[in-house]
Amino acid sequence: MNIEFLHAPANTVAKVSLKPGEICTAEAGAMMAMSGNTQITTTTYKKSGRGILKGLKRMLAGESFFVNHFEAKNKEAELWLGAAISGDMMQYQLDNESLIVQGSSFLACEHQVEIDLGWQGFKSLLSGESIFWLNLKGSGKVIINAFGAIYPIEVDGEYIVDSGHIVAFNESLNFSITKAGSSWIQSILGGEGLVCKFNGQGTVWCQSHNPSSFGNHLTPELKPIKK
Amino acid sequence: MKTELKGGKAFSYIDIQLEPGEQIMTESDAMSSMDAALELKAEFNGGLFKGLLRKFLGGESLFLSRFSNPTSTPKNLIITQGTPGEIRCIELDNETFYFQPGAFIACEETVTLGLKWAGFVSWIAREGMFKLSVTGHGKVWFGAYGALIDKEIDGEYIVDTSHLVSYGPDIQLKLQLAGGLFSSFFGGEGLVTRLEGKGKVVLQTRSLSGLASWLNPKL
Repeated sequence: MNIEFLHAPANTVAKVSLKPGEICTAEAGAMMAMSGNTQITTTTYKKSGRGILKGLKRMLAGESFFVNHFEAKNKEAELWLGAAISGDMMQYQLDNESLIVQGSSFLACEHQVEIDLGWQGFKSLLSGESIFWLNLKGSGKVIINAFGAIYPIEVDGEYIVDSGHIVAFNESLNFSITKAGSSWIQSILGGEGLVCKFNGQGTVWCQSHNPSSFGNHLTPELKPIKK
Repeated sequence: MKTELKGGKAFSYIDIQLEPGEQIMTESDAMSSMDAALELKAEFNGGLFKGLLRKFLGGESLFLSRFSNPTSTPKNLIITQGTPGEIRCIELDNETFYFQPGAFIACEETVTLGLKWAGFVSWIAREGMFKLSVTGHGKVWFGAYGALIDKEIDGEYIVDTSHLVSYGPDIQLKLQLAGGLFSSFFGGEGLVTRLEGKGKVVLQTRSLSGLASWLNPKL
């Protein structure tokens, strides 16, 4: 699987070249265009194993996550993947390790990468935010998209990221939900509220813009939805 | 303080290196990420009373954030804005600039933030009854939805209200119809702002209300 990014950073699109027999797993709705010899199968997050029942259970839990598997049949195929929001993309080569990815930032991965939805890290504490997390395990390429530009931070010690700006991070990092600065009151009044503090060694990738902040700016201008 | 604008014009963000003892003031919720050793203090936006006025009548936030570096080594801080678009830095040299609501992002501590009566006209145009002023010496960062355009005016100039970002101290704002009654309401321009005076005006190439009115019929 070969990945090429075009029109970065504002309108990034991923052009994926598949060799015969190769399979690319992508988030539902990400496919823009593809060769005629590409075969699609849709599953809940992983082709093999895990029955429909578990998928339904996740759907009921508000964690429905369908993925499409694109397979190049007989000859090479190309696949164009786009994201719903404007912003940059990056690729990451997993080398027998784990990468935690914010749910809406996951775009695609090689088929052999395991997608684990069960990662509960932030869940209990950040229940107010509609964020879920994926744990991508194994070896293979991963495509990640973001709202805005992506900047990597090499954490060595302690570093704080606003929860709406986290795109992905190495599982080697420890994290805790905490405050910005030394005082809870100041952090909340300062509009930061709960933030994520990483410590240890590893990389966290951040997005330059926060989807909920943009939503807060735009929402007052929108009309209520007609029922 | 070392600062660098990154992310291009589409997704500008400010990469700041705070030296020991240095401080920076930012809009509330502007922090994207930072070194854990930095201190954050929330302050009323120009005192409690002015802060309240600004929040409820000026469309600004009640609090500003003050980030400081109490350690002995330089620390990293990333500041951004809510909308994707261009961020620009201006260096004030005993000057004043006015910002439309939401445009201000951050400033050095030597800059004074003030509140000026903008008038009922501005309020009718949904731009707030007060305008934010920046005065003094030092760097100020402001941003917009879309790209920013500088325009030197001398005399009269007409701007669609939702595209105005910033203007100099010698410029007066007046609200008027874009054309006659017919073209104002059917031509999609409605009310526009007439700028009068001499100085610099900054415009944004997109507007959130424009995006919203495009989206609304589709919702």
